[in-house]
Amino acid sequence: MKKRGIGLGCSWYGTGYGNGFPDVSSAFVEIHDDGSATVLTGAVDVGQGSNSIFAQIAAEELGLESQDICVYSGDTDATPDSGTTAATRQTYNTGNAVLKAVRQAKSSLLDYAAHEFSCPTSEGIELKAGYIGVKGDSSRRMPLADMVFQARLKGERFISAESSTARSTPVDPETGQGAPYWPYAFGCQMAEVEVNTETGMVRVLKVVAVHDVGKALNPTQVEGQIAGGVTQGIGFALLEELELKEGKINNPALSSYLIPTALDVPSIEALFVEDAECTGPFGAKGLGEPAMLPTVAAIINAIDDAVGVRITSLPATPEKILQALAEKKEGLGE
Amino acid sequence: MIEIKLVVNNKPYTLGVEPSERLIDALRNRLGLLGTKEGCGEGECGACTVIMDGKTVNSCLVLAVQANGSVITSIEGVGNRRSPHPVQKAFVEVGAVQCGFCTPGMVLSAKNLLDKNSKPSNEEIGIAMSGNLCRCTGYDKILRAVKIAAEEGKE
Repeated sequence: MKKRGIGLGCSWYGTGYGNGFPDVSSAFVEIHDDGSATVLTGAVDVGQGSNSIFAQIAAEELGLESQDICVYSGDTDATPDSGTTAATRQTYNTGNAVLKAVRQAKSSLLDYAAHEFSCPTSEGIELKAGYIGVKGDSSRRMPLADMVFQARLKGERFISAESSTARSTPVDPETGQGAPYWPYAFGCQMAEVEVNTETGMVRVLKVVAVHDVGKALNPTQVEGQIAGGVTQGIGFALLEELELKEGKINNPALSSYLIPTALDVPSIEALFVEDAECTGPFGAKGLGEPAMLPTVAAIINAIDDAVGVRITSLPATPEKILQALAEKKEGLGE
Repeated sequence: MIEIKLVVNNKPYTLGVEPSERLIDALRNRLGLLGTKEGCGEGECGACTVIMDGKTVNSCLVLAVQANGSVITSIEGVGNRRSPHPVQKAFVEVGAVQCGFCTPGMVLSAKNLLDKNSKPSNEEIGIAMSGNLCRCTGYDKILRAVKIAAEEGKE
């Protein structure tokens, strides 16, 4: 018999290395005389799209388009260290380093422009849509490229190097006190499953996932990260088991270590809550790992809701579910 | 060395290959077609998918000599930057790419499905794409892109 159930999972997750471990990202920036800018950072884009995020951050701050920004990343010969692409930290940590570096290069450009425009303070200068000019006076502005070009001829360069260190203190092992992480990511997911009571097979029918991302700098990427996380969560909950024997992995192949295929994924509704994180770049914080965590709890709870058995070890394989169902039946018979 | 003849992306080639050489090696190393990716190298992940005589194959499991006389389409033979294939266009529109390693194989599996079945159901799309593993996207946007490409092909 096939039985359906619904489960809920919630998560909060400390992003960054945490527990006082130095969590530092860095970036070099140069604003060029063709109206473009270069960002160099050691942060490695493994496909989650951090390079796009850094380009967006720099473009937003300089009043340019993201295609005007060239991001060089992950080259140990040329780029400053930004730590690992792990711990859900690149958008927040390296994003902050990039923003700081862009602001530093920009501030010398604003000073130069204030002088050129005979503006008493650089606060009166703005960068917008590829132009640099005096705020509120459209007659006093010029293309950013022209301003930087003129400045170059006078020997001015708009370059910067900055780093950003995440807030983290070690936790006191005695008292448990401390502030190990900042910021925290929050998420909530619901899963609907169908459990076959004869085979023990679980099919996930639908997952609705809601995540607080601070501010979604790139909504398409946010949706993609959530869907990718949910699918890894489905694998975590139902399929993926690393079999170790005497320190060796017994199933180091995709034929024996199963991950979800296109046929295993349900319809995924990815939603996000934008509660700006005031310490993040333009309000953003990380989403990478948090997206997969509530999925597991939601699925295990949904199995319980469907057939009344609580699976306490992962993955919830058909064998475990059948055994739990048999034990439950025995328990009822006594 | 054994001489084989094959047509790759509409161009005829005559190649000398080793008896144990795999099709993926011939494509990548002899023809320089680096769009075909090697993932697992044992026919599980589908990253090395190419279309051979109208069927998708894992080019890591086909010997080059087995491809003698066949017609092959690799990702380089499907659209280009200026005029992308409807599947590629839909992938870009929807954002169906993260790290991109599975993408060439995904596009070829989708193209081959749509070449044979212009109105696939969701289940048919799922089955056609199930031989291509992806760890980043969760398949959600990939499946949506194939659906969009199918709908655009109908118009």
